[in-house]
Amino acid sequence: MSAPQNESIQSLYEGDQSKLYSGVLAHHSDVNSAESKAQVKRIWNIFWFLLVITIVEVVMGMKFSHLMPRGIANFLFLALTLVKAGYIVKVFMHLGDEFKGFIATVLIPLVLFVWFIIAFLADGSFWLHMNDDSPARHKTEQVAK
Amino acid sequence: MSQTTVVTAAKEPSLWGGGRSPFNVSYGKMMIWFFLLSDALTFGALLIAYGTTRFFSSVWPDANQVFKSFPFAGESNLPLVFVSLMTFILIMSSVTMVLAVHAGHYGDKKNVAKWLQWTIVGGICFLSCQAWEWTHLHGECISLWSNVPGQVQHGLWGSWTDITTPPSEFRHFFGEKSLAYVDAHPLVAMQSTHNFFNYFFTITGFHGGHVTSGVIFNILILVNTVNGVYERRGHYEMIEKIGLYWHFVDLVWVFVFTCFYLL
Repeated sequence: MSAPQNESIQSLYEGDQSKLYSGVLAHHSDVNSAESKAQVKRIWNIFWFLLVITIVEVVMGMKFSHLMPRGIANFLFLALTLVKAGYIVKVFMHLGDEFKGFIATVLIPLVLFVWFIIAFLADGSFWLHMNDDSPARHKTEQVAK
Repeated sequence: MSQTTVVTAAKEPSLWGGGRSPFNVSYGKMMIWFFLLSDALTFGALLIAYGTTRFFSSVWPDANQVFKSFPFAGESNLPLVFVSLMTFILIMSSVTMVLAVHAGHYGDKKNVAKWLQWTIVGGICFLSCQAWEWTHLHGECISLWSNVPGQVQHGLWGSWTDITTPPSEFRHFFGEKSLAYVDAHPLVAMQSTHNFFNYFFTITGFHGGHVTSGVIFNILILVNTVNGVYERRGHYEMIEKIGLYWHFVDLVWVFVFTCFYLL
C-alpha cells in the first residue's frame, strides 16, 4: 500500500471506491515500457495456447474421438476444457493477480459443482436404469436374485 | 506527507484492521465477481440439467450429425467447422478485450477505444454466426407433420411434439451406432431429439443474450471512453469490470462448446 492512499483514505472510502484499487494507482504510465510490452506478449502467448487447445479438441472430435473408448475421449475433452477455462480466468480475468483471500472467496463456492454434477448425473442414469425395459436389464436382475 | 503515514505503511497493518481494502479491490469489482459467480451457477444449472436429461435418455443425437453445415457450403459434410469458427471469433474478441483493459491500466485512451472497437466487431460477428446457425437448425426441425404434400411445418424452436412425424425427419441426427435403436424405438428417439433441440436453443439463447448485453455494454463504455469520461475520472476501471463480464461470456462458451459439440 502506498502512502498517498492512506493520506486521503477517508475521502476515498466515501467517494469513488475504485481508487482504492491499487492497479489504478500503481505507477502505470508508460504504455511502451518493457513491463507493458511483456504483459502484452503474455496475453498473445495465452491466446495462441488457447487456440491450439481448441484446434486439438476439434480435430479430436472430428477424427479420433470415435476410435477411442468414449470415457477416455470425454475425460480428455473435459480436461482440455478445464485447462482453457483456467487460463481465461487466471490471465484474461486477472484473477491470478489478486490477493489469495479474494481468489479463495471466488473459487470456493464453485466446489458446489462437484456435488451438483455427481448428484444430478447419477440421478439421471438411475432413472434410465429404473425405466429400462430391455431384456438385458431383467436378465441382470434375475442373476442378482 | 505525514510521518505517521509512513510508519503505518511500514508496519503493514493487518488486512482486516480497517483503513484499507482487505482484498485490494474496489466494491464494484468485487461485486461484478460475485455476480459472475451467481451467473456461473445459473449456467451450470442449465448445463447440468442438459446432462441429466442426456443421462436418462437411452439414445441421444450425435453432434457430428447435427452440426455439420457451413454457410454457403450446401450439403457438404463439415462437422464442427462452423462452431470452431464461432469459438475462434469469441476467443479473439476476448483477447482484444484484455488488450483494452491493459491499455486502460496505462491510461492510454486511444488504444482503449481501438481495442474496444475490435471487441464489439468480434461480438457482432459471433452473434451473426449464431443467427445463421439458429436459422439453419430451425429449418431442420420439421416437426409438426403435415399431410399436405410439399408443406413444411416447424414446431416452436425445436419442439418435436407431433407423434405422426415420420422417423425420416429426425433419423439423420443420430450416429451410426444408434440407428438400430432409433429404428426400433422411433418415439423414444423423437423425444430425445425434442430434448436435445430444446436445451440447445435454451442454453445457446441464454448465452447469446449475454453476448448481446455484453456488446451493448461495450458500446456504452466505448462512447464514454471517446468522450473522455474515464480520463476525467482518472482511471479506466469500468473497462476492467465490463471486461470481466465479457471474459465470463467467453468462458461460458468454452463449456457450452464442450457439452454440446464435443461430449
